[in-house]
Amino acid sequence: MGLRVVVGVKWVPNTQAVRIDPKTGTLIRQGVPSIINPHDLAAVELALQLRDRYGGEVVAVSMAPPPAVQGLEHLIGMGVDYAYLFSDRAFAGADTLATSYVLAAGIRRVEEERGRVDLAVFGQETIDSSTAHIGAQVASWLGWPYIYYVRRAELAGDELRVERVIEGYVEEYLLPLPAVVSVAAKAFKPRDVTLRGKLRAKREKPIKVLSNKDLGLDPRCVGLKGSPTIVAKVTYLPEVPRRKEVYKPKTPREGARWLLRKLLEDEETRKVIVKSLWGGGSG
Amino acid sequence: MARVDCSKICPEWPCEQPEEFKGVWVVAETDDDGVVEASLQMLTPALRIAEKLGEPVTGILLGPPGVSKLADELIKHGADEVIVVEDEALKDYYPDVHGAVVAELARRYKPSTILIAATSRGREMAPYIANTLRSGITADCTDFDVDEKTRDVLLIRPPFAAIMLAYIRTPTRRPQIGTARPNVFPVPPRDETRQGRVRLEKVDVPKPRARLVSRRKLERREVPIEKAEVVVAGGRGLGGPEGFKLLERLAALLGGVVAGSRKAVDAGWIPPERQVGQTGRSVKPILYIAVGISGAAQHMIGVREARRIVAVNIDPDAPIFNQADYGVVGDYREIIPALIEELEELKKRGPRAIEEILAEQIETAEPGSP
Repeated sequence: MGLRVVVGVKWVPNTQAVRIDPKTGTLIRQGVPSIINPHDLAAVELALQLRDRYGGEVVAVSMAPPPAVQGLEHLIGMGVDYAYLFSDRAFAGADTLATSYVLAAGIRRVEEERGRVDLAVFGQETIDSSTAHIGAQVASWLGWPYIYYVRRAELAGDELRVERVIEGYVEEYLLPLPAVVSVAAKAFKPRDVTLRGKLRAKREKPIKVLSNKDLGLDPRCVGLKGSPTIVAKVTYLPEVPRRKEVYKPKTPREGARWLLRKLLEDEETRKVIVKSLWGGGSG
Repeated sequence: MARVDCSKICPEWPCEQPEEFKGVWVVAETDDDGVVEASLQMLTPALRIAEKLGEPVTGILLGPPGVSKLADELIKHGADEVIVVEDEALKDYYPDVHGAVVAELARRYKPSTILIAATSRGREMAPYIANTLRSGITADCTDFDVDEKTRDVLLIRPPFAAIMLAYIRTPTRRPQIGTARPNVFPVPPRDETRQGRVRLEKVDVPKPRARLVSRRKLERREVPIEKAEVVVAGGRGLGGPEGFKLLERLAALLGGVVAGSRKAVDAGWIPPERQVGQTGRSVKPILYIAVGISGAAQHMIGVREARRIVAVNIDPDAPIFNQADYGVVGDYREIIPALIEELEELKKRGPRAIEEILAEQIETAEPGSP
C-alpha cells in the first residue's frame, strides 16, 4: 500500500547568479551554476511528507543534460527514494509541449518499472522561465485531473484533499487519484539533506538515466522538432524613459523636503498626494 | 504562411495547415462581479493582432445559464462577437473541464490565435488548452506583433533575465496561444454604441473528476497591489521586517499599499502576493516608492507601467537611481520618518500650503549628479 508519488524537477541556471555587465548592459552568463529549480524543492517536500505519513515511495523525474545527476543526488540526499533522468541530445531545444511529452512518457515508464503512480507533483513555476505550463501539460498527456497552487494535501479515503488560495478565495478540492498537483510557492519548506541520504546517493546510486531510444519516443515529438514554438529572435527590452533626478541631502529633513517638493511640482504625483491627504477634489 | 508537411510532424499532432485558422480569441474569465478586468485587458492586444491579420476578435464566455448577459461587456470593449457556452455543469470552475470546452470550441471554429489573461486560473487552464490542441503556448507576453510575411503572431516575452525579450513564433501549428499578466495592457475604451453578435454554442461538457468541496472568500484587508495608485515597496535594504512598519505608515498616509521585492518575500518579511517583479506581480501605480531596493532588472520589469518611480537607497551607486524619476540617497530609517512628518505637516496646513511650499526658495534643491 502507500502512495507512489512522482515529482517533476527542472535543472535550471541559477538566475539569481546572473549579473548584468554595468558597462555594456548585457548578461554575464559565464560561470552561472545550475541548480534544481527552488520551487521544485517545495514539491519534493510535499511528496516526502505524503510518503512519510502514508508510506510508499517518492520518485523524482527530470529531463535534462547529464550534469543534472548532481541535482538528483541532492534530492536522494533529502530522502527521495529513486530518480529518473531523461537525457538525450534529441531533447535539446524542447519547448514546454515537447518537455511535457517526455515527462509524461517518463511517468508511464516509472509505472511500468515500479508500479502504479498515484500522484505527480510539480513546483509552481521555474525561476528561469516561470511559465507554469508543465503540470497542466503533463496532466493533459496522462489524462489525469489536476489542480495548481496547492498549499495543503492529505488523503481522504482514496482521494486527495487539497487546499489552495487563488484570486482571493480559499478553495478545497477532492481529487481522485491518480492526479497532478502543483504546489504554491513557499508552501512547503524543503528539508535539508541528511548524511544518511547523502551516503545512500553515493553508495546505492538510485538514479536511472534513460535516453530517447530507451523511452522509445518518435524523434519528431521531442526536442526542437516536437516543439510548436520557436524563438525567432532575442532583443533587449527597451528602456523606460525616467527623469533620473537624484539628490544626496546633507540631512534627512532636507532630503524629505526635496522629495516632497518634486512630488508636488509634478502634476501626476501632486494629484495623488492631494487626494490622499485631503480626499476628493483631485480633479 | 508555412505549408506543413504532415509526414514530418509529430504523429501526435493533428495535420492541419495554418491557413485554415482565422480569428483572434480572448477567453474571458468571470467572477462574482462579471468579466474580470484582466480578461478585458486582453482585448487590447487582441484588437491589435486582429487588425494586422484582418481577422475578427471573438470573446469566449463559459458559465452557467445566464452567463451570456456578460457578452455585452466584451463587445462594448471591442470584441466583434462572443461565443457563449451556457451549461449548469460550468458553474464551478475546473481547469480540465473549462479547458476541454475551450479546446472543443477551437476545434470547431479554428481560430488563429487565443489570448488568455495569466491570472491564477488562466495560468492553470491555458497550458491545458494548448496541450489538448497539441499547439504551442507562450506565457506572460509583454507584447504581441504580427510577422507580415508569414502572418505568424509574434509572442514577445522576457525570458531568463528580465532585460531580454524573446520573440516566439508558432510557425507550423495553430492556434497560437499566448497569455499576459494582469495590468500589462490597459482595458480598451468602452464604446456604448458597439454592437456584436452573440452565438450560443452547445458543447458536451466533460464530467469533472475533481470536486470543489468548499470555497470561501478571504477577507481583503488591503487593496491588491495591482490596483493601488500608490505602492510603497521595500527590499533587502530594509534589513528586517520592522522596516515594513515604517513603510506601512507612509503608505497609509498616501492612501497606498505596501509591497516588496523578491528578497523581502524570500526573507519572509512580506507575503508572496505582495511581491513585485518578474516572479511576482506587475503593478501600475501612479507613484511607486522603492525603498532599499537595488533595482535588479527582475524587479524593475514589474514596475514598467508605474507613472513615477521614487527611489530611496543608501547606496549612491544602486542601479535603481538610473531607473527612477526621483531618487534620494540616504538611510531610509531617517528619510522615511522625515517624509512622513513633512506629509503630516502638509496635511495639517491644508491644500493651500502646496503653493507656499512651491514658492519657497530652497537653495539646496538643485539636483545632484544622476
